[in-house]
Amino acid sequence: MKAAAFALISTLVVGRAVQAGRSADPARSAESLALPTTQLKDIAPAFTTVTYSKDIAPLIADRCAMCHHENGAAPFSLLTYSDVKRRATQIALVTSRRYMPPWKADPADGPFVGQHPLTDAEIALFQQWAGDGAPEGDARDLPPLPGRQRWSAGWQLGTPDLVVSLPEPYMLPAGGADVFRIFVIPLPVNATRFVRGLEFRPGNPKVVHHANIRVDRTAASRQMDDADPAPGYSGLILRSADYPEGHFLAWTPGQVAPLLPNDYSWRLDPRTDLVVEIHMQPSGKAEAVQPSVGLYFSDQPPTRIPAMLRLGHQNIDIPAGESNYVVTDSYVLPVDVEVQAVQPHAHYRARDVRGEARLPDGTVEELIHVGDWDFRWQHVYRFAKPFTLPKGTTLSMRWVYDNSAANVRNPEHPPKRARWGQRSSDEMGDLWIQVLTKNEPDLVTLTHAFRAKVAAEDVIGYETELERHPDEAGLHDDAALLYLEVGQPDRAVAHFTRSLALKGPSAPAFYNLGTALTIARRFDEAAYEYQQAIKADPSYAKAHNNLGNVWLAQGKFEPAIQEFTAVVGLDPKSAGALANLAGAYAAAGAFDRAAETVDAALRLSPPEPLASDLRARAERYRRRER
Amino acid sequence: MHWFTVLAFSSLTVFDLDNRAIDPFKAAAGARATVFLFTATDCPISNRYAPEVQRVYRAFAPKGVRFFLVYPNPADTPDAIRVHAKSFGYAADALRDPKQELAKLASATVTPEAAIFTGQRLVYHGRIDDRFVDLGLERPAPTVHDLADALTAVVAGVPIAHPATQAVGCFIADFAR
Repeated sequence: MKAAAFALISTLVVGRAVQAGRSADPARSAESLALPTTQLKDIAPAFTTVTYSKDIAPLIADRCAMCHHENGAAPFSLLTYSDVKRRATQIALVTSRRYMPPWKADPADGPFVGQHPLTDAEIALFQQWAGDGAPEGDARDLPPLPGRQRWSAGWQLGTPDLVVSLPEPYMLPAGGADVFRIFVIPLPVNATRFVRGLEFRPGNPKVVHHANIRVDRTAASRQMDDADPAPGYSGLILRSADYPEGHFLAWTPGQVAPLLPNDYSWRLDPRTDLVVEIHMQPSGKAEAVQPSVGLYFSDQPPTRIPAMLRLGHQNIDIPAGESNYVVTDSYVLPVDVEVQAVQPHAHYRARDVRGEARLPDGTVEELIHVGDWDFRWQHVYRFAKPFTLPKGTTLSMRWVYDNSAANVRNPEHPPKRARWGQRSSDEMGDLWIQVLTKNEPDLVTLTHAFRAKVAAEDVIGYETELERHPDEAGLHDDAALLYLEVGQPDRAVAHFTRSLALKGPSAPAFYNLGTALTIARRFDEAAYEYQQAIKADPSYAKAHNNLGNVWLAQGKFEPAIQEFTAVVGLDPKSAGALANLAGAYAAAGAFDRAAETVDAALRLSPPEPLASDLRARAERYRRRER
Repeated sequence: MHWFTVLAFSSLTVFDLDNRAIDPFKAAAGARATVFLFTATDCPISNRYAPEVQRVYRAFAPKGVRFFLVYPNPADTPDAIRVHAKSFGYAADALRDPKQELAKLASATVTPEAAIFTGQRLVYHGRIDDRFVDLGLERPAPTVHDLADALTAVVAGVPIAHPATQAVGCFIADFAR
């Protein structure tokens, strides 16, 4: 019996080989016929029937269903036989090309969290199944689907402690190019919280492709949103919107960042906004898009704070037609670090991106390599086992761009010169590397050393953007902040002046300019701008406060006391305001008033280190010392 | 749609949304050309083409070109098709091709795919434009508008430069099971 069955299978194999050979290449059909029997034996097991119930359903449940379920991240569900059968050929094709499940990194990299590749044998199962007519098989073979309940429940990380969504949906047009839109969502907390997890839900998975998520602790992004009548705004993510304390928050379909340990959280203060840039692909009909975000809180502040390193250049300038433009960058680590995660970033023209670490002993570790870069799959790659890189390790990146017509992803046809810029039509090239240091002094060393490198690149980037968009006020504001950071306050003054002219007079615009002038020690001009700010908004406490400081710096004690008194009047519960007023009294020689004011501040039970500072001052003022 | 010729013996088993067997070639009698646009209610790529299909329809319907949306998936019921056509703003008449006979006649293998007939002669079949290069590989915008170019040629009475192109989308073969 056994021998007979084997013979039958052999015949089938040969028969197929002939058929395949005939259509392709007659010479090879003879070769196929001549297959030695040992090879036939190897092929034979593949001819057991592949069925949905026995073979395909478990693979779908394990590798696909986390996105392909009702209201999941993917555009259609694959939970039932009819769902899967209806796309059998397509599934066989996209798995064989490794387009699905989406994983762009070299399989040799990592291993990474959430990496669930199909093996070659599993891909062959899909192909055989589709080729054999997608049989259902015996429903009794169906595995239990523990996942199903979880997929339909919604939040994959459990019930969030706080859920926020867009107050009103954004309406995406039916057709046209992809849309990039920045939404600003306030986070309503009334006391400081610590966040250990964030889950993004696209709201409309048919059109939302990926999300870039930042945190803005200022009102700057909100003002951009307010200025645009529709939900969100189009343009640039502002400098004030950043990764909180070195934590990645981005989202791509199928990726949910795992909950972090309790002591590895990031700080969320009241009046903080989430800034969510969403990449949307029109679906063919107008679509409402209303994403939501769930936050998971920790009960303690972080004891570990990661650092976010960024390699890359902002002087990218790719000639039209150039098919091999290379951007490289490197950085030598000044301290030991443990690598947590990497995120390569580029737009449409990048073709091959590679990040490496060369250790002091000369060994090279590949951090990430994406050989067929696709802008639409911007994963954050989190290492399943974070690893140490010693001080002296060189981190490096090498990005290759193709700005020729042969690159089908090229947004310009015919190709045009491409320069650095945040817009998807421009190019970028960054490798973000998230690391943990061994201790806090090392973190300070690393972030301090790194800040100078990043700021220098950012200056180039802003100047490039401003050259092309000289009338964008937000760019001038950010450039001004950057010049303050790199110690060039006069340049900051110029940009805030330009921003004010573009935006028109407003209290914050006068205040910003005044602040830059103060730092440039141009006190008379600064005082004038603060006065303008106060005229526009008499309750602007920060303007009163800074004006007080300017008067103080100029030795004008009476007007200084007046301004600080105004601040206390506006914010009577602020110990800091009282402390400033006390300082002004002391400067003017009014030590009794100074001491009384410090006592009043202390009665408000201020936090440290202000409390200790106030107690020391109380003693000094009583000794009539400043 | 009331004027469709209802045939007792048709070589094609194609239905309108009232489940009447019709011969689309007779229905399109007198048209300069007939365009069949193969689509499916739940194919994302097909759906993304709705605005482009509408543009081509608006440009060529006034020039004597007859358009039909063809649904080769038997699971797409007349009611589902009505909802689909309405939500995507399709103006052309819809046909059901539950045995994929028209698809076969038109050499259509995926949705979306277009076929142009002059009389009963197939003169073009393939993609609408070149935006999709492959599954998972697309251009930010199309560079060649194959269907519109072919129709321009038909209307001008000149040969079509590329009478057959490769469309990218959801496989019609999967509907047959």
